[in-house]
Amino acid sequence: MSKFLFVVPPFFGHISPTLSIGASLLARGHEVKWFGITSLAKVHLPEGGEFIYPEEDLLPHAEEIDLILKRQDDGPSCSGPEVMKLALEETYVPFARIMMKPLNNFVDQWKPDVIVNDCITFAGALCAHLKGIPSVTTTPVPPDVMGDTANSAPKIFEWQQNLILGLQKEVGIYSDQIHIHSHQLNLVFTSQTFAGFKEKPPHMHFVGPVKGRPNLAAFDWDRLAKATTPKVFVSLGTLLVDIRAAFFKKLIDAFAGEPITIVAATNPDIFEEWPDNFIVSGFVPQSELMPHMDAVICHGGFNTVNDTFTNGLPMLITPIAYDHFHTAKLIEQAGCGVSIRYKRLRIADLRNTVFELLENPKYRLAAQDIRETFVAAGGNNKAVELLEDFAKNNHVLEPA
Amino acid sequence: MDTITTKLSREEIFNLMKKFITEVIGEEFVEEMDITPESSFTKDLEMDSIEIVSFSEKIKAHFGDQIDFTGWLSSMDLDQLINLNLGMIISYIEECQS
Repeated sequence: MSKFLFVVPPFFGHISPTLSIGASLLARGHEVKWFGITSLAKVHLPEGGEFIYPEEDLLPHAEEIDLILKRQDDGPSCSGPEVMKLALEETYVPFARIMMKPLNNFVDQWKPDVIVNDCITFAGALCAHLKGIPSVTTTPVPPDVMGDTANSAPKIFEWQQNLILGLQKEVGIYSDQIHIHSHQLNLVFTSQTFAGFKEKPPHMHFVGPVKGRPNLAAFDWDRLAKATTPKVFVSLGTLLVDIRAAFFKKLIDAFAGEPITIVAATNPDIFEEWPDNFIVSGFVPQSELMPHMDAVICHGGFNTVNDTFTNGLPMLITPIAYDHFHTAKLIEQAGCGVSIRYKRLRIADLRNTVFELLENPKYRLAAQDIRETFVAAGGNNKAVELLEDFAKNNHVLEPA
Repeated sequence: MDTITTKLSREEIFNLMKKFITEVIGEEFVEEMDITPESSFTKDLEMDSIEIVSFSEKIKAHFGDQIDFTGWLSSMDLDQLINLNLGMIISYIEECQS
């Protein structure tokens, strides 16, 4: 049996798949812990797992962490190049810097056999490199979001390289190689087909969506059972607080009184009243709800994208910022949905597109093709098999 | 053949750019904007990468090989892209023509 340490960022979309694989590893008898720089509510953790949040060590950084988290709300109003800066320079690199010391301390004490770092949580792979611990990377979104900058935008590539090499020097890695991700095993939670990869590097494994994390959210199932019109699930994910009201106002304008049932995952308090054909709750058991739906509207948060195509449903994606545009492009390529950029979203287009998705079978058929590729990718079982083989074949290097 | 040989003035280039932008992002959204040479490409016009690609294609279709707009964009660093405004694009096209 092995000890796995997941190093995660304070973004639930990135933590979520690790909770699912962690649950499977725990069920197989491994020891599993998570390490993050904000706390995680216990209800999310699979039984037997532990979330390490080194509150005391982080006190000097509390204000900085808070500012970085608030800064994420600016994403939707930022342009593409500004988002690149926001993500890498103002979020990922400072998070890694803040995490490094408390993570090193915890790793020295617990001595994990494998460190699994989330793709934007560089500290995990850097710590593993420093200490000679085998490392794996998890990638919840289709890779290659920033594109081939080395060839298409050399100055942007140089900026990325310099930021990362600078970070590595700060933490004591004097190498001109990049060590923020595992070079041995990278688990990607989508299919190779959907990600649009004709070829893949040998260490990259597309295992498809994973499931099984605890989700005990309550839901008004009776009300859903009484709905007779097509059901459309709507989610904005857990980020993007500022534009929530504006987004759902558009939905109300488009669908109030229409022959459709909207199931929305958002805090109902944003409006005093919702139309009768809207079922709204703050938290929903999304994976259990999805099989009852006929279509999905979302901005492109990757866990919702995975839940949607796992159920072979067509999607209207309304990309707002970050990697949403890349995901939107993949959805249009696969033909399993339609993309309308949030900033250019007209009420009439919103309404017409959703009815088109419900009535024209081609979107559903394409979504079912994507579901096949997800199932074939292997999910939790494949991820666990790869992780167990990796732990068996790779060992902590003894200090020279 | 769409390619032109006569040199355009700054104002003519500006109006042409405005026409391309309207075609790319839609009249309805342009009406809410006050497009001037100072308008920043990504921030004020809020163009995303797909829109920028179709804008570049329109420039290529109109001017042909005399202007390598995509090549010019890809040589920029992040701050240059963030600060890129319509006036700079007009100047670039003007230079390429001379």
